[in-house]
Amino acid sequence: MTPVSSKQYADDVSLLMVLIDTNPLFWSSTAAPLPFSKFLSQVLSFLNSILLLNQLNQVMVIATGLNSCDYIYDSSLGLTTQRVETLLQKLEEFVIKDEELNKDDSVDGIGSSLLSGSLSMALCYIQRVFRSGSLHPQPRILCMHGSQDGPGQYVAIMNSIFSAQRSMVPIDSCVIGSQHSAFLQQASYITGGVYLKPQQPDGLFQYLTTVFATDLHSRNFLQLPKPVGVDFRASCFCHKNTIDMGYICSVCLSIFCKHHKKCSTCGSAFGQPQTNVSTSNQKS
Amino acid sequence: MPQVRIIAKNFMDMVASLPAIKLDKLYHNPFICEAILRSMPPLAKKYVLQMLYIDVPVTASLLNEWVLPDGASKHRVAVDRLIQLRVFTELVDRKKETTYVLNQMFKMNLREHIINGGEPPRKPMAANITVRLPSLEDLDNYAAQQWECFLLHLINSAEAEVTTKSISPSMMKVFQRGLLSQRDKEGPRLTESGFQFLLMDTNAQLWYIIREYISNSEDRGVDSADLISFLLELSFHVTGEAYNVDTLDDVQRTTVKDLADLGLIKLQQGRKDSWFIPTKLATNLSISLSDASSRKQGYVVVETNFRLYAYSTSKLHCEILRLFARIEYQLPNLIVGSITKENLYQAFQNGITADQASIKYIVSFLQQNAHPRVAERVPSVPENVTDQVPHHLYSND
Repeated sequence: MTPVSSKQYADDVSLLMVLIDTNPLFWSSTAAPLPFSKFLSQVLSFLNSILLLNQLNQVMVIATGLNSCDYIYDSSLGLTTQRVETLLQKLEEFVIKDEELNKDDSVDGIGSSLLSGSLSMALCYIQRVFRSGSLHPQPRILCMHGSQDGPGQYVAIMNSIFSAQRSMVPIDSCVIGSQHSAFLQQASYITGGVYLKPQQPDGLFQYLTTVFATDLHSRNFLQLPKPVGVDFRASCFCHKNTIDMGYICSVCLSIFCKHHKKCSTCGSAFGQPQTNVSTSNQKS
Repeated sequence: MPQVRIIAKNFMDMVASLPAIKLDKLYHNPFICEAILRSMPPLAKKYVLQMLYIDVPVTASLLNEWVLPDGASKHRVAVDRLIQLRVFTELVDRKKETTYVLNQMFKMNLREHIINGGEPPRKPMAANITVRLPSLEDLDNYAAQQWECFLLHLINSAEAEVTTKSISPSMMKVFQRGLLSQRDKEGPRLTESGFQFLLMDTNAQLWYIIREYISNSEDRGVDSADLISFLLELSFHVTGEAYNVDTLDDVQRTTVKDLADLGLIKLQQGRKDSWFIPTKLATNLSISLSDASSRKQGYVVVETNFRLYAYSTSKLHCEILRLFARIEYQLPNLIVGSITKENLYQAFQNGITADQASIKYIVSFLQQNAHPRVAERVPSVPENVTDQVPHHLYSND
């Protein structure tokens, strides 16, 4: 018989940061495959099942709105009794506040949610957990995203992705919208998370439990969806367009779709383009 | 010579060994389903969750497709465990294929939990009742003290205070069975199991005692399944909250009294009602891992010259060290001793076989209880000590 092991945390204890897209423009559009209420009830069941799996599991929910994002639920604050009630109440408050911020400028078409903001918040929280002690559950981020990518957030999102990569936090993506999200494809690819666009959004709960409930330890042993194709295209810094080919600053690596006299990020002066080939650079 | 070994695995091994009818009955209680799910290996948990809403039998070949080649052994362990706990029922269908179905009751209870979230087993004392509750720290101290007192009593130490011990002598006999051996003329001595028992950490010791308590329950006319379900339910209570004793049935009330003697529960008499307050020992019962906060601070420093300094005021610690070391002197907060050949021999006389297992226990005890100052160092116990403690014995033979 072996002496009692001094291991203090089981392998499968996880800290799950769930980012929920609350963009009203997306949920009211035809792109949304299922009503928000149905989506929410499936997600809530998923959160319950994560907390059921291990008493040390922790779930943190961040709402991603159109203009702001906020923590709306933290399972470590105790009170198992009114889990759903507290979450829904906070969510409602958040949506109202988010709407008030919106009144100033009108958005045309489906606006994009503030994914960069909520990713940063999730990473900040994870950093705080990392620093709070030597013992912590294994963190991962799950983005439940529906609305389109906002090319304007390109730099901020890429920065978040790289800092997640540095701190070894996988970003899982569950894309509910009708289109693939290039940002999230890259995020999951770079951080080693799972990217999935459910074929039948009605059965969201089954997708969530089958794929996204897998703790990091079990991922070594289970079959999970493999990345099919990743859209690596970048956005230009000047017009926030997604481009295949463009100009790139040799000093700070900023990307532009047109030739400029000087770099808007670092101020380096560019020479005149001799030929089209010399300064253009294909992103891969 | 047949050897009695203490298998201090965890609660769930005991649950798994229950007869089928009792096990099925246990699954009527949602808390048990929850506790059992949590105790499973990670892959098994995952399978249950995945199959929760699949109502048709799932074939074994389909199940195999979920796993990567690396996970084959873990997969087998998980499926075996699920079958052992009767969560999975194995069927062979017409095409001679093995299929698995989830236990119906288990499935229903978990579905309920996932939709509604967990509810606590009973309501804690309302805030408007003015009973002075002990602070969490007091409660921890109480639990530790109670447990220590019980252990001293258990090993029949002369040091044990003649306090108002309410554990019946017959009960104590049950616990002592296997740990102490009675020889003619001499007083009772520790057996090998008893020796190992004292060197285990509190959670493992607690589990051993609880296991004896459960396996003995039938003699006391208590159904072991009822007892297990109550103990599991107890672990879902909140530490430090008071719960009304009136919500318990008769069997549970006597159990609560016994558990109070072990330090799992603190009983408190209010003006009208009496309350029970679960301590950390109770709420950690179903958790097989040792919680960091329940881990006590170490107190032992071992030097390369085999001298041993223990910063402790506890009589129990002194008794434990006496098992394998010569206590040289005792100061109010410090015990000084040395690990000598003679003492180790002495420890392994009296039927204690000098096999590797017991030695490992001494070394791991020293490591686990290392004083914080030395615990930072690697290794916390000098290498020559960890090497030579076993060597001492073999050189003799």
